Amino acid sequence: MTSLTEELIDPRKTFGEAVTSFAASDPRVVVLSADSGNSSGFGTFMREYPERYLEFGIQEHGVTGVASGLASTGKIPVFAAIATFVTCRNFEAFRNDIAYMRQNVKIVGRNGGMTYSDLGPTHYSLEDYAIIRMLPGVVVLSPQDPGEIRAASAAMLEHDGPIYMRIGGPLIPNLFPEEPFVIGKGRLIAAGTRATIVSTGPVTAEVMKAVSQLRDDGLDVELIGMPTVEPIDAELILSSAAKTGHVITIEEHYVRGGLSAAVSECISSQGVRHDSIGLPHQHITTGTYSGLLSHYRLDAPALHSRLSELLR
Amino acid sequence: MSADVLALEIEAARARLLVLRMLQAGRSGHVGGALSCIDIVTALYFDILRIDPRSPNDGTRDRFLLSAGHKAMAQYAVLARRGYFPEDLLDTYGGLDSKFAGHPDMHKVSGIEANTGALGHGLAIAAGMALGLRMDGTASRVFTILGDGELPEGSNWEGASIAAHHGLDNLIAVIDVNDLQISGRTTNVMNMEPIADKFEAFGWAVTTIDGNNMSEVTDTLRSAPLIQGRPTAIVARTIKAKGISALEDTAQSHYWKPDAEALLEAHVELTNTLVQKIKARSDELMFTSRGTK
Repeated sequence: MTSLTEELIDPRKTFGEAVTSFAASDPRVVVLSADSGNSSGFGTFMREYPERYLEFGIQEHGVTGVASGLASTGKIPVFAAIATFVTCRNFEAFRNDIAYMRQNVKIVGRNGGMTYSDLGPTHYSLEDYAIIRMLPGVVVLSPQDPGEIRAASAAMLEHDGPIYMRIGGPLIPNLFPEEPFVIGKGRLIAAGTRATIVSTGPVTAEVMKAVSQLRDDGLDVELIGMPTVEPIDAELILSSAAKTGHVITIEEHYVRGGLSAAVSECISSQGVRHDSIGLPHQHITTGTYSGLLSHYRLDAPALHSRLSELLR
Repeated sequence: MSADVLALEIEAARARLLVLRMLQAGRSGHVGGALSCIDIVTALYFDILRIDPRSPNDGTRDRFLLSAGHKAMAQYAVLARRGYFPEDLLDTYGGLDSKFAGHPDMHKVSGIEANTGALGHGLAIAAGMALGLRMDGTASRVFTILGDGELPEGSNWEGASIAAHHGLDNLIAVIDVNDLQISGRTTNVMNMEPIADKFEAFGWAVTTIDGNNMSEVTDTLRSAPLIQGRPTAIVARTIKAKGISALEDTAQSHYWKPDAEALLEAHVELTNTLVQKIKARSDELMFTSRGTK
């Protein structure tokens, strides 16, 4: 259970191409940039649809308000920028102008997690699942591989309502054969009985390697990929938890408030053991991205060792 | 004074009485700001906006949103007068699950375009609407009212820069400068003067008017955009709680909880104003009709 091919793919380019392709047949799609469009994968969109590419300079609160106003006129605004700036910086506009007004706006945070590893905590996004899933009616997506990014982008644009999607920055492998994306549905990656591992986002690539090793070790664990954090696929989690009696969540996000909390809320009355793997609740250090994954024990070797301990 | 200005003043006087009616129902509310901007809101709905209350979601309508959402009672009153919903619904104001709360909800009240209340949000939303309407090639315009007290919110200046950079001359912002907020004189709390110069420096076409003078209000709104290719800012100097003399120009009026006596006194005064306006209009019509014979 590893990647489908050795090829590594740019998630931002994949996302930008998916939106551009969708926009070819839907003139309602407009792209909003806070000096962030080109680096969010919209180079082609800018050239092909200049009249639908709107630049505003570096200001995320204002652009979020503009997105709301554009949605009021029937547009489907897509606003993509560095994840923390389109969730934290503009949070009140997201809350009031998008969520409370139930606007059909798509906000995409790129370089989520700690992928801007050399730039430090100002540029990390480790609380985005937590804060955005608190907004009633907002869908939170965190696709795990390029195929899911493409399919989730199309599903996001087809969905009538506010959506936040987190993607990363570094190149990622293809993990799954591409198929239509259903918002709110998890993906059973490997069936097993020993424990249920739930993962989201591109860190699932590391989790899959670790799980593959665990299964080689004779530990028959179940692995669920959860590219929708809100609304979480409660049905899948509950049925798997009932079978295994032990759930372990893994995410590139603080262990507080994100996938772990969403899963915990789902199984808290079930008497099921739940362990959480993610980032500790502290200001995260800097370095190379692979260095940070290793340091915080989120790469495949560390995950294998942690999961082995938890399953002992 | 032309008859239509008097007719608008009568509408404004009726709307002021509806604000009191909501106050009677809800016991308290943001009266000061509602009454400082209500002449402008009346002029918009009865003279300026291209709207149809029977078709409130028509795509080609002009839009109006209150950035200063706490002045919602002014908009509720005028929407009721304009026929968006029956006036007696306003008697639910402030009640459990009422459509009419202290801040407007577009999903509950016909004619409301945005869920404002948190300050500093309206201008960017209005700019987005103006941009979208222009992309559609419609002649629709977007009007918004900001309060002077909300101007320190930095997001206003994000919105101001967007509107100017994108040349949104279908966007008209009225800044209701009543120079009062909860803590006192706005110019003492956080001085944002010179307001007109600030908008001008951001690239807006700007004019300053007496926002409680119906003739000036309508003349100015009709002349927008003041300059082609630029958003228009109308700096409207107003009196907080205009129309209730015991309350006018006081910080206390910002959020007023009147006792029965004060409410009755205000009601008598606003009723007298309405009667005087009706009499003036009647005299004018009589005079005009005599003159034309």
